[in-house]
Amino acid sequence: MASPSWLEAVKERARRALDKPAAYGPDVDISVFRDGGPADEASVASVAEAVGVSPKAQAFYIQADNAYFRYLSRIPGVEVYRIEEFVDAHRDLARDYLWRLVPPDYDKFTAVAALRGVGGYVIRVKSGVKVESPILACLSIVRGGLQAPHNVVIVEEGAEAVVYTGCVIAPEAVGLHVGISEFYVMRNAKLKFIMVHSWNKAAHVRPRTGVYVEEGGEYVEYYANVASVKTLQTSPRIILKDGAKAHATSVVLGRGDAVIDIGTAAVLDGEGAGAELVTRAIATGSSSVTMRAVVEAYKPARGHVECSGLLMSDRARVVTIPQLSAFNNDAVLTHEASIGKLAEDEIYYLMAKGLTYEEAVSLLVRGFVTTDIHKYLPEQARRYVESLERQIVEKAL
Amino acid sequence: MFILENVSVSVGGRELLRGISLSLGRGDIFYILGPNGVGKSSLLKAVMGLPGYEVTAGRVVLDGVDLAGFSTYERAARGVALAFQVPPRLHGVRVGALLSHICKKTGCDAGEIAKAVEIEHLFDREVGKLSGGESKRVELATVLAQRPKVALIDEPDSGVDVESLSIVARGLKELAAGAGLIVVTHSAHIARYLAPTRVCVLYGGVFKKCGGQEVIDEVFAYGFSKLA
Repeated sequence: MASPSWLEAVKERARRALDKPAAYGPDVDISVFRDGGPADEASVASVAEAVGVSPKAQAFYIQADNAYFRYLSRIPGVEVYRIEEFVDAHRDLARDYLWRLVPPDYDKFTAVAALRGVGGYVIRVKSGVKVESPILACLSIVRGGLQAPHNVVIVEEGAEAVVYTGCVIAPEAVGLHVGISEFYVMRNAKLKFIMVHSWNKAAHVRPRTGVYVEEGGEYVEYYANVASVKTLQTSPRIILKDGAKAHATSVVLGRGDAVIDIGTAAVLDGEGAGAELVTRAIATGSSSVTMRAVVEAYKPARGHVECSGLLMSDRARVVTIPQLSAFNNDAVLTHEASIGKLAEDEIYYLMAKGLTYEEAVSLLVRGFVTTDIHKYLPEQARRYVESLERQIVEKAL
Repeated sequence: MFILENVSVSVGGRELLRGISLSLGRGDIFYILGPNGVGKSSLLKAVMGLPGYEVTAGRVVLDGVDLAGFSTYERAARGVALAFQVPPRLHGVRVGALLSHICKKTGCDAGEIAKAVEIEHLFDREVGKLSGGESKRVELATVLAQRPKVALIDEPDSGVDVESLSIVARGLKELAAGAGLIVVTHSAHIARYLAPTRVCVLYGGVFKKCGGQEVIDEVFAYGFSKLA
């Protein structure tokens, strides 16, 4: 079936941006990454398991490279599609939701995703449907190359859902991952989204995410980078309307010579909207982590930014760049930031409690990565986040 | 038996205390009274082997073993525990996680200990974000969890309300059932709840006066300056 004309227009915009560098982060030569080849089922299962995604789930989407796709939903009121299937089956709906929050000409990475991207999921939770069990997704690079899936989550009015997405790469693969994500949280709906990245030391990662939260909606996001990566740059943007709330927490581990530049932007465009953006970065080896956080308030609303960096090596580097902009005099915006190594008095305090040096450091690092996001998550998601925190601590040490 | 034998303590290279001697066994409660800044906390930190606080003369002996050269961890592992006056912030560490880690080492039941000092409701709270009274109770819980032979209790009665103080006192009594206690305090309010075995007043870097309950009564009546 021929592409709809609106999609052709998207591609035309993308073509004009193919040389447009990203605003932040190191540049990557996209031309060296070919489209990924076929992947076998055993390899896919093994990498999916690494991020806790199994086809035994009630609803799931698994994609390996650009050639292997499995997805289904056993949950009434929840639809899971591969994006190409969604575009074919729901042309008008697709036009309303694709490339609306992430412009195809935002930079060369969105451009390449619009032109060469294959796959990605569409998860649609119907109006009023409240789903307790998580909807799982795994996007994996098994053989290497470019993977640019386009993911859309639509949580309709009054609906509630929990979505986990794991993005992972096989240890020997060399890949570029450009995940486009557009999430719509409709009026009084709730979306709790957990994303875990488990890359390798050769992987380049450039996710591009937009989130739109309608009146009274709630968006909770937990992002964790739990393994090595060569370069990672992302800056999701969340738009909040009247009374909408967002709590976004990112916990990022820098290992080896990784260059990481992350940050979330919240646009408070509704009266009574609220956003809390929390980032924790642990930099080990000679890694470099930059944390950006932006809150813009156009209406009477509240925003808070918290960036904390932990230096675990003399060669590591952490930078925090919080930015608050108020365009309404009833807005209240605050931020706090800190960077440092583990405090010696805290280590000795714990040793005075009978812990060894290693146990003391481990407990302090665990404390560092433990945030208040737990209180916004259901029990099962909380346990999942705790397991991610344990992984980060193990790898940080 | 825990013994300080003619101990001198220096902080940052400056001698703060000299000739400090005491001994105590299980069940003993030894009060060290003194005004602010006299070096009471420094003595406890030096005994615990914390960096910056040095025992420059004399001996610290636990069950016949001189603790000189032992690290902070080794002293704790041998049965010395310190309840800090002001614990460090421990960014993000939850009360439950802290107690569980200690109990993993000693085999204690974190839930039972929490119950003893009424902190069950604080398990998910950050250690560094507690009120004064809550912090004292959590600090005491960590020492109970250590199951020490000697517990060094730094200002258990500062910055706490009456209710918290009675809970702290109850916890200290429980602790004294299995350990000797050295309790330092500048206000001695805790002594209303917990009778001393022996009391010494630290002033001018030395034990100025020692005795029993009558020393506490004297301090309450006349203050520390009369003893100087």
